[in-house]
Amino acid sequence: MSEPIVQVSPAWAVLAPLALLLFALAGAGLNGALVARSVGRPGRSGASAPLAQVARLLRQRRQVTVAADVLLWRIGAGGLVVVAILKILVIPLGPWTLADLDVGVVWFNTMDVMIWALFWLIGWGANSAHSLVGGYRFLSLAVSYELPLMFALITPAVAARSLRVGDVVAAQHDLWFVIWMPVAFVIFCGSVIAFSSWGPFATAVGRDIAGGFLTDVSGVDRLLILTGRYAVLTAGAAFAVPLFLGGGGGALLPDWLWSIVKTALVLAAFVAIRHRVPTIRPDRFAEVAWIIVLPAALLQVLVVAIIVVGS
Amino acid sequence: MGVTSVLARWASTSVHVLIVEVPGWDESRMLLEAELDRRGWRVALSPADADLLAVCGMPGEELRAAFDLLWNQLPGPRTRVSVTTSVALSALLDAAVAHLVDDSRQRKDARARSRPAAAEDQRPDAGEHDGMDHGGMDHGGMDHGGVDHGGMDMPMPGGIPLAGGGDDRDGLEMDVLNVPLGPVLPHWPAGLVVDCVLQGDVIVSAKARVLEAASAPKDEPTTAVTDVAGRRIIRLCDDASNLLALAGWQTAAQNARRLRDDALRGADIADHAAALDRLRRRVERSVLLRWSLKGISLKGISLNEISLKGISLDEIPLKEIGLAAGARANTGNATPPDQATVDIRHRLIGWLREAAVLAGPSSGTQPPAASDSDRARQAQLALAALPELLRGTDLGTARLLIAGLGLDTAALAQTHEQTHE
Repeated sequence: MSEPIVQVSPAWAVLAPLALLLFALAGAGLNGALVARSVGRPGRSGASAPLAQVARLLRQRRQVTVAADVLLWRIGAGGLVVVAILKILVIPLGPWTLADLDVGVVWFNTMDVMIWALFWLIGWGANSAHSLVGGYRFLSLAVSYELPLMFALITPAVAARSLRVGDVVAAQHDLWFVIWMPVAFVIFCGSVIAFSSWGPFATAVGRDIAGGFLTDVSGVDRLLILTGRYAVLTAGAAFAVPLFLGGGGGALLPDWLWSIVKTALVLAAFVAIRHRVPTIRPDRFAEVAWIIVLPAALLQVLVVAIIVVGS
Repeated sequence: MGVTSVLARWASTSVHVLIVEVPGWDESRMLLEAELDRRGWRVALSPADADLLAVCGMPGEELRAAFDLLWNQLPGPRTRVSVTTSVALSALLDAAVAHLVDDSRQRKDARARSRPAAAEDQRPDAGEHDGMDHGGMDHGGMDHGGVDHGGMDMPMPGGIPLAGGGDDRDGLEMDVLNVPLGPVLPHWPAGLVVDCVLQGDVIVSAKARVLEAASAPKDEPTTAVTDVAGRRIIRLCDDASNLLALAGWQTAAQNARRLRDDALRGADIADHAAALDRLRRRVERSVLLRWSLKGISLKGISLNEISLKGISLDEIPLKEIGLAAGARANTGNATPPDQATVDIRHRLIGWLREAAVLAGPSSGTQPPAASDSDRARQAQLALAALPELLRGTDLGTARLLIAGLGLDTAALAQTHEQTHE
């Protein structure tokens, strides 16, 4: 078990987006099933809803609003999937990784900051009030989650004494990080849900603002954004595995399979949470994020640092 | 053409429907929503996400103009249906699907729309925008309804005037936008238009009015439910569902909506009361919801006047509610002070509690039916209180407040009709 992480040929990079999209589709399918159940239809009928949605959006003409900032709008729409793909470059599948960067953890963080820009551009581009408010809401949420997320990402790196994802996985050979840094794990998960504008943090696409930054998007643009949201959610779930859940480590199954199983479980939890809890207003969340979550994240880093130095 | 027809067939399994409701036709809307759930179709939040425009009821002139504008904003393939109480919903929707998957027809529609491209681009919008006093915003479609005609004539990008500036609540200069909310928004009272002046997402000032229906539904019974209590349960569940959806708790909202649909079908009553009570407890227990709705309240509204919708019922012991609500509506001299503050969350819980009591086996007594003039007067008061209520709130809070008001726009549209005719 737990072989050292090796970098594979870049040719495999063709498969990575495919795997990501399959996961995203599975996540969307699970969401569809849960939605169907909530309206009293069999879950199975909802599981295929994402395919129907893809067909629908491919058939739909795209509507452009008056005086829209089309270039920026499209960059925002198309960028999400790209960012998600860039994110998974540093995530190992069992023993294999596409790019074992020595700053892998920071790479992931950089990509997630790009999401700020993308969601904002989508909100801005449409030149419409609700869309713009959606963009604003995302930014105010981002100001709340980003710092805690950075410290949550740094915590495993401190424990592993390296920013290389491979080293972080190796450092969990004996004990998964989730066991002794649960606060960082929870903050990380919350942040992934937030940067995907999902579940309790989906106010930027809220019903009270008629869909927020999605209000005016149609056709293939909408398809790209919706796919992108699932893709970044998936990428976040996948990154939790090497960071906190021991990477491919586990009994019986081969490493690569463990990576997939763990990712699927985390993703399923992320999707399911949307159907459990109400959304949190960004202004309310800001208070909690800065007064409770951020100090908690710092404390977690401190505790981990002391343990690492002491041992 | 194999691929396109396969796509069309797939797409038609989940049609997204933009529902627009004319005041007084809420039962048509509810029946339609229930039918959509049954088919696994989805309610669109905006015209850009819709394939089908479903007009519930007979719109008056201004509403019709607003709906036509929305129709222009459906990307296509698109189709529209008119839902009135007497039509067979299922056949209507089947016909709509047939229209949607008919590629040649949709292409013709698309060509007809894009031909006068140059003119179309400036199209109703340019004219409309000049007049609409739009401050450069919003093609969301949501806001098109009836609109102020400010008549600005300067040359403008895309026919839209640039936003002016103004001091915001912290004394900083910020863009001022004139954005009408309504008459079509998700979970929005039918026909209501609130003309807002916005800075960022904060409402600086607002004016509210209600657009009229061309006619009220005929008095034929459209559902299995004809008694006052039954209708009230349906209305309460609908209001609660809307408020929950706006608060961002989609599962609970869906739960309330299913209970509403059960009531609409005339489901087993005892069972229903228990389910309503379970939902009420779930809402009451949610820490996240409590935290999210903290401090959002209807201030300065004369409670006695609008107590029909169940304000502050939670102060009353359960078994007395049916009676107390009635008594309060009748006499108008209940205990809470005139200018009290009602927490939105308490109001929501109060609605669910009242619905549970009305559905319960012990209730027996029917609440007194409010007369049309009473309803109109109460709605008028609520409408008049809106501008003050919304001043200084952000859009999200404003939406919750409006939903919490439980505005009965049908009553208002009726009085208009009377005064106008």
